[in-house]
Amino acid sequence: MHELLLFASVPVHQHHGLLQQLAGLTAMQPRHALERRLIFKAFRKPGLITGRVGGSQDLQQASAGDLQRVNKMLNGGMFYTQVVGPVSENDFAPKSATVSAPDADAQMAGMDDVKPSAPAQSDVTHVYDYDQQTWKLEFRDIPEAATRSAITTRVMASAALPRGDIEPSMNAWGYGFVTEYLVEGDVFIHNDIVIFLHRVLHYPTSEKEPREPRRSLPSLNKMAPLEKTGSYVLQASITVQDGSNQETMKTASQHLLGLREQLKSAVRLEPADRLSLDTRAK
Amino acid sequence: MAPLTSEEYKVLEQSRQRLVQLTRSLGSLVSSLEQGDPLPPWSSLQSQASIISNNLISVTEHLSDHRDLLSSIVAYPGPEYPGRTQEAMLQQLLRTKLDPRVEDWVARGRTAGTESSHPALDFSRTIPNPSTAANTTAKQLSESELKDLWEWAPIEANQEARQRNWGGNYTLEEREAGIQNVVTGLRRQLEDDDASEDEEEDEEDDGEDEMEIVGVHRKSGGGLEFDIAPHHARAVHPVVPLDKILRYMTTGHMP
Repeated sequence: MHELLLFASVPVHQHHGLLQQLAGLTAMQPRHALERRLIFKAFRKPGLITGRVGGSQDLQQASAGDLQRVNKMLNGGMFYTQVVGPVSENDFAPKSATVSAPDADAQMAGMDDVKPSAPAQSDVTHVYDYDQQTWKLEFRDIPEAATRSAITTRVMASAALPRGDIEPSMNAWGYGFVTEYLVEGDVFIHNDIVIFLHRVLHYPTSEKEPREPRRSLPSLNKMAPLEKTGSYVLQASITVQDGSNQETMKTASQHLLGLREQLKSAVRLEPADRLSLDTRAK
Repeated sequence: MAPLTSEEYKVLEQSRQRLVQLTRSLGSLVSSLEQGDPLPPWSSLQSQASIISNNLISVTEHLSDHRDLLSSIVAYPGPEYPGRTQEAMLQQLLRTKLDPRVEDWVARGRTAGTESSHPALDFSRTIPNPSTAANTTAKQLSESELKDLWEWAPIEANQEARQRNWGGNYTLEEREAGIQNVVTGLRRQLEDDDASEDEEEDEEDDGEDEMEIVGVHRKSGGGLEFDIAPHHARAVHPVVPLDKILRYMTTGHMP
């Protein structure tokens, strides 16, 4: 599959207005989205992976086609890849409560804001369960160095992953955990264009960087935006199933350019710097 | 019949070029009136009109300068003219009478010309009629006449205004004669206010629940257009550039 993209930087003071303009343009209410994104990096040369694929038992539920696709994706080269898990606001610790996840022994050392002794567990109806977290592997290639430079185009593929602790599986495939962050934003659908107005949130900093994905989530208001002023990124994308079909690719890019024209006086949608989306691991 | 000299050819060619220019500028005015939605600003119409009138002047000057030649030459087909294939064109060229429509225009032009050269000098009325004065540009109003006019006009206008019920799209006279007969010259349909007042009130009531649309309006060419984001008092511009954010999102490298 191919993905065609345009980006724009949205200062925080423009965020509210732009949300309303997009709601008017797309005739839909914004769909709020929170995503955990885990970054993994390939650490072995492809080809060194032997037949031993630990932790793939869970994958048997996934269709054979998915499995094949994942294997192909993972063995194709040395890439950064993302594991995306949708979460909801309820998954985050309440503002003032001192609640821990059920498996308190796996508490991260750095999460000092969450005390392990959780007295108020009974009051809380919803607790984030890391073992039930759904994940999706999102592979993105480096954008094509195309002459059609008005739009960023790249090969993409996604596959469903087993629930729960994903790290052992990823390790077995030759991927090491790098870091994780949270993406917070709103999704709009405009014909075939997915508009995602989002920003990156950091988990509260601690002395020790965690070596594995978090098992519990801090309170949402303790998350700090990566961009200190709180600015947002506007991403408009179209996914094309058959990227080799020039006709569909052309139609899709025309639609994106049409959107750029419509939003011209509000934001400037532009193709991204190709190297900033470079997923190759060196 | 002597063939034309090169000088005479030149004259013909020049008249052709001037006529082409004239039709071109007329065509552009017509198309801007037909296609421009909303109509082009008056200043551009004005400049187009002045271009056309300049073209007209140059055509008329040229025609009258070479009147002798142009009225004496006759068109006839040469032996090599493809009379079979270009018959329509040939007929057109050999016409001696004008097209009936064109004849009409010419007649109208002639009457207009004779009228303006013998303006109806109607000063029998004690109060000078401004429209007559405007038509007879040759005669300027004298000081006292101007003064009279200024004294007369406000009172007369006020009286005229009192006779009418202002605030509607149609006058009483027009309504009595039937509003469907009124030629407004407008494309949009004017509402008859008396009839539609109740409806409008209903619409207003309905409108209260709806959200106001802010910052978006229809573009003339179709589609939507957004207002440029208003200047914000607390404008904070991002410190981290977009590509650094994207790089972090891709590889986890802190900017």
